[in-house]
Amino acid sequence: MRRYRLFIIAAAGLLAVLIGFLAFNLRGDLVYYRTPTEILDDPAAAAAGRFRLGGQVVPGTVVDDGEAVQFEITDGTATVAVSHRGVPQQLFREGIGVVVEGTWDGEVFSSDSMIIKHDEQYRTEEGGVYTPDSRYP
Amino acid sequence: MIKPLDIAAGSVLFTALVLGLLVPPDAVQGDLQRIMYVHVPSAWLAYLSFGLTLVFGVAYLRTRRIRWDHLAGASAEVGVVFTGLALVTGSIWGKPVWGVWWTWDARLVLTAVMFFVYLGYLALRRAFEDPEVRARRAAVYGIVAVAQIPLVHFSVVWWRGLHQPPTVLRPGDPQIDGPLLAALLAAVFAFTVVYAALVSRRAEVGRLEDRAATRPADGAVAGDGISAPPIVGGGR
Repeated sequence: MRRYRLFIIAAAGLLAVLIGFLAFNLRGDLVYYRTPTEILDDPAAAAAGRFRLGGQVVPGTVVDDGEAVQFEITDGTATVAVSHRGVPQQLFREGIGVVVEGTWDGEVFSSDSMIIKHDEQYRTEEGGVYTPDSRYP
Repeated sequence: MIKPLDIAAGSVLFTALVLGLLVPPDAVQGDLQRIMYVHVPSAWLAYLSFGLTLVFGVAYLRTRRIRWDHLAGASAEVGVVFTGLALVTGSIWGKPVWGVWWTWDARLVLTAVMFFVYLGYLALRRAFEDPEVRARRAAVYGIVAVAQIPLVHFSVVWWRGLHQPPTVLRPGDPQIDGPLLAALLAAVFAFTVVYAALVSRRAEVGRLEDRAATRPADGAVAGDGISAPPIVGGGR
């Protein structure tokens, strides 16, 4: 029995990852998030229920009205207005990538969950120039 | 007994640690970014370990020398440990930066799959009494399982997800400033030396384990000289 214990742990772990992946995949189409361009081109997106939307926070659009944080996100081509209820993430700022989760009514994306999508750049304060990613996503 | 390789591993690791703490922090993440100096080398060791498990496995199949099998097993075991470390450090970094401990992103899911597949490799090695049978089956498993490495590495390019794409191993310039890159490369080098030290130790232990299993009563055992007293007199 002892000889097969590690087999059971490995198989159970593998199974848990696969089940989790299938169960927590919101839309079942293996896309982690959609982009502003995609949802503006898709007439069904407004009635699609909950999904994730990813993009870069457009500088100068962040307004906190006390109840929700309003901002716009872009993929470089199209822009969508987001209204996020809840506390924004620690690193939330203008120009950073975000993935918000919620519903879209065709005009405003109402989000209640936010994840920061950090890009692959690492810069020091004094030395480097942090250039927001132009090829997002 | 401390070998020169152990001393080398300890000193480069210490140097990398000092460098990782001394270089300036990242402009956006601050000190949170320093976990990269453990996370990235751990992920690198995972690739290296499982890649070399394949190489040692092929070497065993060609030469049938059991030494290669001990190296293959040692390499996979070290790889599983560092894959686990990459998952844990990534999670600890993900909570403050992304806002979540875990998410079902392609890179994360495939790395977890790789962890459990190689745990299965270690389980397979334990399932056979005969070292020759074990070596053959493990070598084949190691050759098949290695196909995941490119899948894990390119998952961030092939699928849209949360994990950032490669910073250094990418077409074009590395997207990282000089001092940070120096600390990262020092850490990658240090972890590689640590890998060599751990694998050489573990392969030696594997050799001794095989010897202990195949020759259980080798040499004198305490109590050998004692025998039952002769029974005198017969019955009453």
